[in-house]
Amino acid sequence: MSHPAPNPSSVSRRQFLREGMRLAAMTGAGAFVGLSSGRTGAREHYVWQIDPTKCVYCGNCATACVLKPSAVKCVQAYEICGYCDLCTGYFVPEPNALNTGAENQVCPTAAIERKFIEDPYYEYNIIESRCIGCAKCVEGCTRFGNGSFYLQVRHDRCVNCNECSIARVCAGDAFRRVPASNPYFLKTSAH
Amino acid sequence: MRALFPRSLFPALMGLLAALAGAASEMRFPPPEFETDYTMPGITTPPPRSLAMEYVDTALLVTALGLAAWLVHRRRSRRGLVALSVFSLVYFGFIRTGCICPIGAPQNVALGMFDPGYTIPLTALAFFLVPLVFSLFWGRTFCAAVCPHGALQDLVLIKPVKVPLWIEQGLGIVPFIFLGLGIWLAATGTAFIICRYDAFIPLFRMNGSVFGLALGGIFLAAALFIGRPFCRFLCPYGALLRLGSIVSRKAVRITPDYCTQCRLCEHSCPFGAIREPVKLPVTPNALAPERRRLTWLILALPVLIAGGAWLGSKLSVAAAKMHPTVALAEQFLAGDKAPAPATALPTPETRALGRAAETAPELIAAASEVRRRLGIGGWWFGGWVGLVIGARLISLSLRPNRTDFEPDRGACYACGRCYLACPNERVRVGLITPAEAAALQAHAPVPRPDVKTS
Amino acid sequence: MTAPSLPSSRADADLLRPLRATVWITACLAALAVLLLVVTHHRAHAHDPLKSPELAALKQRLLDEPRNEELKQQIRDLDLALRRSHSRLLNFYAFGRWLLLGSSVSFVLSAKAWGKLHARPPAPRLSPDAAERFTRLVRLARLTASTTALCTLIALTAIVVAATSPLPSAATDPEKLLARLRGEALEVPPLPPLAEFAANWPRFLGPAGNAFTPVAPEPLTFDAASGDGLLWKVSLSSPGFNSPIIWGNRVFLSGGDAARRSVAAFDLATGQRVWEQAVTGVPGSPAKAPEIPESTGFAASTMATDGLRVYAIFANGDLAAFTLDGRPVWSKHLGVPQNQYGHANSLAVWEGRVIVQLDQGDADAGLSKLIAFDGASGRVAWQVPRKVPESWASPIVVEAAGRAQIITLAGEFVIAHSAGDGAELWRVQELHGEIAPSPIFAGGFVLAVSPNDKLMAIRPDGLGEVTKTHVVWHADDGIPDVTSPVSNGELVFLVTSYGLLSCFDVSSGKKLWEHECDTDVHATPAVAGKRVYVLGGKGKVVVVEAARELKELATFDLGEAIFASPAFRDGRMVIRTAKSLLCVGTPPATASGGTSP
Repeated sequence: MSHPAPNPSSVSRRQFLREGMRLAAMTGAGAFVGLSSGRTGAREHYVWQIDPTKCVYCGNCATACVLKPSAVKCVQAYEICGYCDLCTGYFVPEPNALNTGAENQVCPTAAIERKFIEDPYYEYNIIESRCIGCAKCVEGCTRFGNGSFYLQVRHDRCVNCNECSIARVCAGDAFRRVPASNPYFLKTSAH
Repeated sequence: MRALFPRSLFPALMGLLAALAGAASEMRFPPPEFETDYTMPGITTPPPRSLAMEYVDTALLVTALGLAAWLVHRRRSRRGLVALSVFSLVYFGFIRTGCICPIGAPQNVALGMFDPGYTIPLTALAFFLVPLVFSLFWGRTFCAAVCPHGALQDLVLIKPVKVPLWIEQGLGIVPFIFLGLGIWLAATGTAFIICRYDAFIPLFRMNGSVFGLALGGIFLAAALFIGRPFCRFLCPYGALLRLGSIVSRKAVRITPDYCTQCRLCEHSCPFGAIREPVKLPVTPNALAPERRRLTWLILALPVLIAGGAWLGSKLSVAAAKMHPTVALAEQFLAGDKAPAPATALPTPETRALGRAAETAPELIAAASEVRRRLGIGGWWFGGWVGLVIGARLISLSLRPNRTDFEPDRGACYACGRCYLACPNERVRVGLITPAEAAALQAHAPVPRPDVKTS
Repeated sequence: MTAPSLPSSRADADLLRPLRATVWITACLAALAVLLLVVTHHRAHAHDPLKSPELAALKQRLLDEPRNEELKQQIRDLDLALRRSHSRLLNFYAFGRWLLLGSSVSFVLSAKAWGKLHARPPAPRLSPDAAERFTRLVRLARLTASTTALCTLIALTAIVVAATSPLPSAATDPEKLLARLRGEALEVPPLPPLAEFAANWPRFLGPAGNAFTPVAPEPLTFDAASGDGLLWKVSLSSPGFNSPIIWGNRVFLSGGDAARRSVAAFDLATGQRVWEQAVTGVPGSPAKAPEIPESTGFAASTMATDGLRVYAIFANGDLAAFTLDGRPVWSKHLGVPQNQYGHANSLAVWEGRVIVQLDQGDADAGLSKLIAFDGASGRVAWQVPRKVPESWASPIVVEAAGRAQIITLAGEFVIAHSAGDGAELWRVQELHGEIAPSPIFAGGFVLAVSPNDKLMAIRPDGLGEVTKTHVVWHADDGIPDVTSPVSNGELVFLVTSYGLLSCFDVSSGKKLWEHECDTDVHATPAVAGKRVYVLGGKGKVVVVEAARELKELATFDLGEAIFASPAFRDGRMVIRTAKSLLCVGTPPATASGGTSP
């Protein structure tokens, strides 16, 4: 009696039920694939990016990213840069002098490099390893200059969270999912 | 010197509201024409992870699942499963930082179904479906050794403490509710809460918010003593796999041969999934109250669903607050009555409110639309909660029919720990001789469940 | 035959001690790493090196001491130190992470090994009745499941009950809300008809902007000290050079200083203050008010009303709208106007919009603009940039040549904008100096004063640059520098700061007469019926007949200094003096009835 005979009718009934449900689940999964095939982009996956026309340079990018420091960095669109001597992205309001002294720079991490090209033009480069994405330079450049400094999600850093934690708090609602094949907003002319 | 403005005007400029300063900047300073042979650098665009790598991930997932199924059902090798777990933990966990994982994938699928602006990436669909299909055939092989969350908890388990089965069964409805909530909020584009409250992703990234890291730390510390706390009490995808596993073609069998009821395996499962044989009396006295209860519960099910649905539809106001658009609209409208105190420096909040003021009609319309959709989804979510509660109560009122010690099909993570607890298995793999097995079994008091019924 | 995991061998026993030590050491290391990370994070959060208030303070100090080289060096040193500590912080996080990972992995591995050596083989006991146990188990499980379910339902209900939202829920409500935000008239009362506009004194210098009312107040003379000839007099607490405006039975004016700006309403019949509202909490308005010269003050701009709401602007750039009964409707900060004397341009209204001439800075700075705000919502209906410097003249809106035109003066220009969209219609380049006198519209001409220079009449039907073609006449005698011209449509009166009152024929520009009032004058005079009132800066009031021949009617001393232009309605004259607000008129019992034009 150590191996009690199973109740054959009960077992087969359960077996049948299980088989039936599995079949139903398989059919359901198949139907689901068919249904979603229309909604599936085989060639696309998505990454997060900032629409610079909507960015209000609120500073959340520096603080809200799951990465510390943030995966959002300032980029320089050289094509539309005015190469100004008095760069409103580089210098604080009312700069003491137009030189690289710390008292004149707006960037808290000195992540912008100012390089003399020819009179009166200066080139400005973002040193990305230092940039924290605080957008202080972006505000100056966008409001009073050409807007060649702007924030972008850097995809060599971004871990592409399913729900971007900066997007959740973005003051300008500027974050969106973009196709990975075209992952940057490139400013070629200012708008 | 190329001065932009007289410098004395700068403070005034900074003081202007962005809206009035003109949110859109024109080309204020035409790009220069250089006289020297200066070459303009280009903007760098480091690409995201390539699509090919996503397919590699998918292929690895399928391979790992197949390997796990083979290790569970054919090789019956705990050691192999541990090795595979370590691989999954390192690759899907620490290297791929847990994104995209099947746990969050139901949200992507839900969003893709309802948001015309979002197409489901094929990889997300695959990550969602493949482990589910595997569960229909081979049980929770994904949980066994492929899921990095499961692997992490499984590998750090030092000294399992038994959680009483009645607690586990009672709390078992939580993952299902969490699943429903996640799908509801994702389908309406409100939030991806399954990802937001994921315990282990911050650990895999070794980075993240204090809240996320603390949650991970708490779950990990608990996992040292409680087997897989996240999987058992929270994981929404595990809830789906549980359903698949219940009807799976193959289930984990502890003994390779026949059960001698030696009870040696009884405590080998740290997740409390092994059920002892039980045979309930078939007397009218015993049957009648059970049948009555079952009838009542089945009759109550539609009531529970309807009540839940009604309650769920009322949740839209609260749920909508999680949507950034609604949150901003509400903040804006609340501020309409009591204006925020003036501050000289703009904060993210004032900037957001400034945007709200500029686009108020669009914002309010969008917020109302989000809430309307959440209201519709709320019926489904509430109904689902009612169904989960009713179904759980019904399942707890069904008669079991077990003659052997065997794992509960839904609760078993197919980790393979119980295999070597069975003397017959040890004989099969050649660890002991049949005679030694017989001696082991002789030490064990053999109960006679079939004759002890009253 | 042994159970696999007993510490049976000597080797295993030898392992126990070092293993236990490893477990403890790695556990302590992991705990230490967590502690260090938490403490560091907490400290970094409290004192973020990149948000150092010390550095900000030093930079602020540099603005005041731009040549302090030592201070500059100090800033550079501090900046370097802060950036170093920021980078140290990042390095520490990286180190702490790996320390934590390494120690945790070692802890888990050693603890598992240790646990394995300690594991006891299974020793199954004879169990009591399985069926009974099962029954008890499922009963308890049903109970916990029910409890969980109940908790869930209670929590959900609590959430439903607790959730309130300013966003309306009913399907129709959002539509109404949207309409309100769009400024559409769903429940909003329609604007009062133009006739009512003309019967009131809705803005600086009256409905037509030429400071004319057809009915003169009685009696002719009045005295602030004794109250003779006054209906009422109330003292004012809040300073301001703006002139009162009148709508219905309410007189409105604004006042303010660096500490507080406010708007007040008085009953026209009794002088009783009906309400006063401070303009506070304007989003974006600087907490510390800018420095404004006292000669202009914070409330030099006269308010305006469209009959539904009153609007006020202050020199710190705050613009506010209130309903006639004093409920705040909206407020905006337009940026602190860059104006050496302080912003003084008064507001104009047109078809429910409030028009702000925000001229500031140099012409080259491109800061000046003309903005029309939707009166109901405060949203910008349109705005156009103006390449003009700061100015102090107030715009007027006139219907001329089939167009609604906003006439503005600034810098060298008289510029007419279309009231509908702000587009420039025409301009005349003939002004000089600091433009304070406002333009008026009389006899079909736009009359503009170039301070201390000339008065000119312009035909308002031009397009583009019309200096050579549309200026009909000039007059260059007795031209004021502050006060605006006034007119009854036939004659134009000008008064200079030193009190010379001149009368011109509006159609020809011919000077008819002049009269020495013998007082300094800061307020624009007013024409009421057949009288011209000149209100002197020291309180002397001169009344002459508004006729082609000079005839002085009265000269008397009010007793209080006057800087604001009077307002009229129904044969009453409201004068704001430096200290008080007073109303000239006869009590209703003897008043001569309705006086609408």
